[in-house]
Amino acid sequence: MAKEKNKEEKAETLNAIVIRQFKKNKPALWSFRLLILIFLIGLSADFIANEKPYYCELNGHTYFPVFRGVGVDWGLTNWPPELSNVNWRDLNYQKVVWPLVPYSPTTLDIKNKDYVSPSAQQDVPSPRWKHYLGTDNLGRDVLSGMIHGTTVAMMVGVVSMSVALLLGLFFGSLAGYYGDNRLKMTRLTIILNVVLLPFAIFYAFSARSYTLSDALALSVWKFLFHFVLSLLIFSSIMAIPNLLDRFLKKIPYLGAQVSVPVDILVSRLIEILESIPSLLLLLSIVAIMDKPSLMMVMVIIGLTRWTGIARYLRGELLRVRSLEYVEAAQALGYPEWRIIIRHTLPNSLTSVLISVSFGIASAILTESSLSFLGIGVPPEQVTWGSMLSLARGVPQAWWIAIFPGFNIFITVTIFNLIGDGLTEALDPRLKQ
Amino acid sequence: MFSYILKRILIFIPTMLIISILTFALSKLSPGDSVRIALGNQEAQGETNGSADKMAGEKAYLDMAEQLGFNLPSFYFLFSNAATPDTLYRIIKKPERDNLERLIAQYGDWPEIEQYYHNIKKVDFNLLDVKKDSTIFDQDKLIRDDAGKLLLEYKDVTIQDMLTEMDKASAASPLLTGIHQDVQNLQASYTAIKQKATPSKNLIPSIKWYGLNNQYHRWLSHFLVLDFGISYIDKRPIWSKIKEALPWTLMLNLISILLSYLIAIPIGIHSARTKGSIGEQVTTVVLFILYSLPVFWVATLLITFITTPEYGMDWFPTFGVGEVTDGMSWTDVLMVRIPHFILPVFCITYGSLAYLSRQMRGGVLSVFRQDYIRTARAKGLSEGKVVWKHALRNSLIPIITIFASLLPAAISGAFIIEIIFSLPGMGKVAYLSLQSRDYPMVFTVMMFSAFLTLLGTLISDILYAVVDPRISFDK
Repeated sequence: MAKEKNKEEKAETLNAIVIRQFKKNKPALWSFRLLILIFLIGLSADFIANEKPYYCELNGHTYFPVFRGVGVDWGLTNWPPELSNVNWRDLNYQKVVWPLVPYSPTTLDIKNKDYVSPSAQQDVPSPRWKHYLGTDNLGRDVLSGMIHGTTVAMMVGVVSMSVALLLGLFFGSLAGYYGDNRLKMTRLTIILNVVLLPFAIFYAFSARSYTLSDALALSVWKFLFHFVLSLLIFSSIMAIPNLLDRFLKKIPYLGAQVSVPVDILVSRLIEILESIPSLLLLLSIVAIMDKPSLMMVMVIIGLTRWTGIARYLRGELLRVRSLEYVEAAQALGYPEWRIIIRHTLPNSLTSVLISVSFGIASAILTESSLSFLGIGVPPEQVTWGSMLSLARGVPQAWWIAIFPGFNIFITVTIFNLIGDGLTEALDPRLKQ
Repeated sequence: MFSYILKRILIFIPTMLIISILTFALSKLSPGDSVRIALGNQEAQGETNGSADKMAGEKAYLDMAEQLGFNLPSFYFLFSNAATPDTLYRIIKKPERDNLERLIAQYGDWPEIEQYYHNIKKVDFNLLDVKKDSTIFDQDKLIRDDAGKLLLEYKDVTIQDMLTEMDKASAASPLLTGIHQDVQNLQASYTAIKQKATPSKNLIPSIKWYGLNNQYHRWLSHFLVLDFGISYIDKRPIWSKIKEALPWTLMLNLISILLSYLIAIPIGIHSARTKGSIGEQVTTVVLFILYSLPVFWVATLLITFITTPEYGMDWFPTFGVGEVTDGMSWTDVLMVRIPHFILPVFCITYGSLAYLSRQMRGGVLSVFRQDYIRTARAKGLSEGKVVWKHALRNSLIPIITIFASLLPAAISGAFIIEIIFSLPGMGKVAYLSLQSRDYPMVFTVMMFSAFLTLLGTLISDILYAVVDPRISFDK
């Protein structure tokens, strides 16, 4: 019996062990559940808090304005002429079903402007229309802003960490797997690589810079298409010397194999990037942007956050790559990229999750401090940070000082708890 | 150990150089016309009475550009295409230069494009000397506006339209015959651009060398002797503004880092020693909450609730650093300053305090598991001696490395705190200059912060080697 159990444990993969350990950690597990809830709120913000009704009957027609509104936002449909630019609250409905919170974050409730407290007498027709968390200077509903701020926060986390993950996985696995002496190239290949790099940059990006910037002005998808095209040009130029490598070996001296200090190069790059104070770097990049844009801020946050992931992965891979199963894969003659992607990465990914989790916390924190300072995020965009900043200099508006900040705090805390839980789940000293 | 420290210092220099290049590149990408801002934003193209005035305006502009070094190439070399001439940097106005680059990208024949550019300028200048009366008021305005727009236009259709429009307007009155000739020259030169177009030249890469006489070189060499130029807002030297701001930031950071180390080490050790007790669990939770509390939220809450009479707790001053008059004794100065500093220092301290204590606790716990601690206990040393003499030194190692990451975090943290509490430090200065687009100031502050950060890393590396002599042996 005991033997059988032992066997079972051996067959368990590392990830399964981590999940089992993670589940034992109650605060982390509850954080994870709370995170799913917050994520759902973020996804369905338009359906929870909206100034348009779910369903209404108007002059003999039935409409589903909330759903229609989402469609319009996605560019799938248009408003019928009788409904474009209407004040939803003042229409004469025959039948109507309002959302849970009948205010959009940008709805201006003129009767309740200039900071109306949740406990004060509000000028609303019925409790259904009450501002449960008060209003701000323009009469915008704080509760609705908090719900829609969740979408922004989740987007910040997802977008910036995707960017950071892409870069971090790339550089981290390069440095960690190859180290300083694993990547061998002929001298000529190295020289060709250095010489061709400016050319690749020139043809992929410099020569196409107007194409790229024009596409960005038109639409994000066009830009992505041209950007991927640029990357293709770049990689096909850089592929030339590396494909030639095996033929170049025959040349004396220049064809000799030397190792490329990948780890030193990547580590130095990380060191340099980390020594720049990221908030100041963000501020100065945002300052030179023509017009503020949330997307841009998220991407820039991602660009400054990948170093942590890369460092973590590098350390993990340096450990993993000397393990027997990697040696076995090498002995079987698998190509390097396959060993990296199929064999070493999956075993290091759990540890990457830790830095992703902490990374999301700090990305959300960074974005909210930027919008708190009113930098980089468009003024009409309602975020937790921008709501909190309204409390400055208005001491009587305690509800604005408390609620949005509390949201930031909770979100950051649950990501930190999840990160902590993962760290403990991975720590072999805690495993019995 | 010495060679290790030397190596760290040697890495410091190229890192700083790379950061300087990055900062410089960002400053070059910043929008707005620096020369015009430095000239005091006066409208150089305002009401002018003739070409002489306009010439004087242009001359003042060029003089200022020269004074700021904008008549020089940006960097030691330029990597671009064969169609771009190496003298393009001499066109100082960035929007015009950008538009010329765009035209080069479309047509690739610089001599013709240059001729076209000069012809636009010629129309603009000559128009100023035409004797005007009310009959040609509309035409005059139209041609002048179009000439201005042409300098910033690259779309073929729009240019054609404007040229035809100008041609028609200049033919309308005998007073404008000279101008009509100029406009026709302009049209001819535009046709020439299109006829002699060689866009393929854009696909040939080329490198142009400029040597040491360039903007970056000048900027960096001035930077090294603490000459950062002048602030655009108030025309004061940047160095004197930084001299005023830096002490506040340094003081704020040093006090809070010192405080957090002083408090965190005992907390960390104590909670490691009493692991598992209720008190320790409460401490852990409190520290975790402190660690996750966003600093700007805490600052906002503090300001809202305990600096105003609104909730009956007007305990601290809200903004600034207090008024100090000459002739006050130093105790009086302290009495004025300290209340202003309590909240900001608290805000910067609590986050790093929580982080440090957590790390210290982990460090002590892992050291407690070591054999030599068991040995020390086994030979009957008192618990105090075991902890303070044997365990402390080794558990300090992780804490010291954190110093490197604490300094940049503290600088960023102080940045927001200074803005919220309106303290006249570097963060506040940087924020104000960001809002008024005073770029020389912004990028100087950025260089300074990077320098401080690197310095912190260097110090912690050296401390690390001092505390743990094993470091110098590997690698």
